[in-house]
Amino acid sequence: MSTRWYPIYQKGGPQLRVFLPNFWMKLVRPTYEQPPNVVQFACSMEMTKHDVKNYLEKIYNIKCIDIRTRIHMPKTRRDPGKGYIIKDDDIKFSYVVLPKGQTFQFPDLFPETEDIKQDHDKALDERKRDIKDSWRKNKHRPNMPGWFTA
Amino acid sequence: MGSLCKLLNNLNIRNTFSLPNNPIYRRTISCTTVKYDLMEFFDDKKNWGAQEVKSGRSWKKEELRLKSNTDLHKLWYVLLKERNMLLTMEQEAKDQTRLFPNPERLDKVEDSMKHLEAVVRERNVAYHQLETGETGERPGKLETGPFGLKFFYRMCEYPVPKHMNKKWHETHQFYKSNRDTEQFLLKYREKLYLNKRRKRTRDFNHVIGLLNRFPDLDMEALKEQYPDVDIEKAKASRKYGGHFAPK
Repeated sequence: MSTRWYPIYQKGGPQLRVFLPNFWMKLVRPTYEQPPNVVQFACSMEMTKHDVKNYLEKIYNIKCIDIRTRIHMPKTRRDPGKGYIIKDDDIKFSYVVLPKGQTFQFPDLFPETEDIKQDHDKALDERKRDIKDSWRKNKHRPNMPGWFTA
Repeated sequence: MGSLCKLLNNLNIRNTFSLPNNPIYRRTISCTTVKYDLMEFFDDKKNWGAQEVKSGRSWKKEELRLKSNTDLHKLWYVLLKERNMLLTMEQEAKDQTRLFPNPERLDKVEDSMKHLEAVVRERNVAYHQLETGETGERPGKLETGPFGLKFFYRMCEYPVPKHMNKKWHETHQFYKSNRDTEQFLLKYREKLYLNKRRKRTRDFNHVIGLLNRFPDLDMEALKEQYPDVDIEKAKASRKYGGHFAPK
């Protein structure tokens, strides 16, 4: 049980029960636009539709009408220096349809508060002033590299 | 206070099984709000966009050993939900290129889950030892692979008997002596032996170097760190003592 090693199911045998599930699910912002009652999750690669349904209904008490899953293969890219091909890990997405009348809007988790905005503006102003200063200093010696100060 | 303790002790002795029903032991007020919602996948609203989120430490094994099985079972789901929440917040922070505050929270939860599972496993093993005399763990044995190298083979159940299981025999190859593997093993062992010998020589020379550089060295510590090196022999070496003109 706790060894995460389950006996194979044989006809007439007792139903296997998972006491300590180690699946993870994360609610993600939908990749493509979805109807208001569809929620997108990224989940463990081993999870099936039935697993997702049981997970949400039993642990989170969320009713789901329909579930679709897909495995997303991320784009490959080349390493900028060496040129070998890099591929990130695959992700399993599941699309959960909520019952009629229920909707879900992904919340804005990083609200722009006034002081953060002010800090950002202040830093931007300082940077602008520094650049203008450097332009003024180097007015009479164009094309000189930045590190050359003598 | 003393009389209350006595009363509790008496109760304990008389009837252990009636204890949980006793009103003294029942928790009457619970401040935890139960919420079953999709919003459980997100942190508290006051932590949205926060620069720092304070958190406690992870559960230790010693603490978890004191808990009952039911409590552990409940705690597992609390941790599972917490981990899902943190993963969701981390992913969103990554997508929005924002700071995910206190990422060590995830490590703490993972540690707690690991410890909890270890404790459950201990109990499982103890139960199996008591009831069946075996550990109840997944059985395994030391096997020799096709190249003659040892590995731990973890056994599992198959619906087909072994002598009929063609697929298993195709995918699982074990050591059979032949000339190529013998040649490989010979060279492999030679390589291991040379590495070992080089290490011995390196350590020996390094100890001499240490003795030269630091004349009043703590011999006990040296012996502890380099148990394979014969220090008397190192001192007898002509490299010991450094370059100096005899008087």
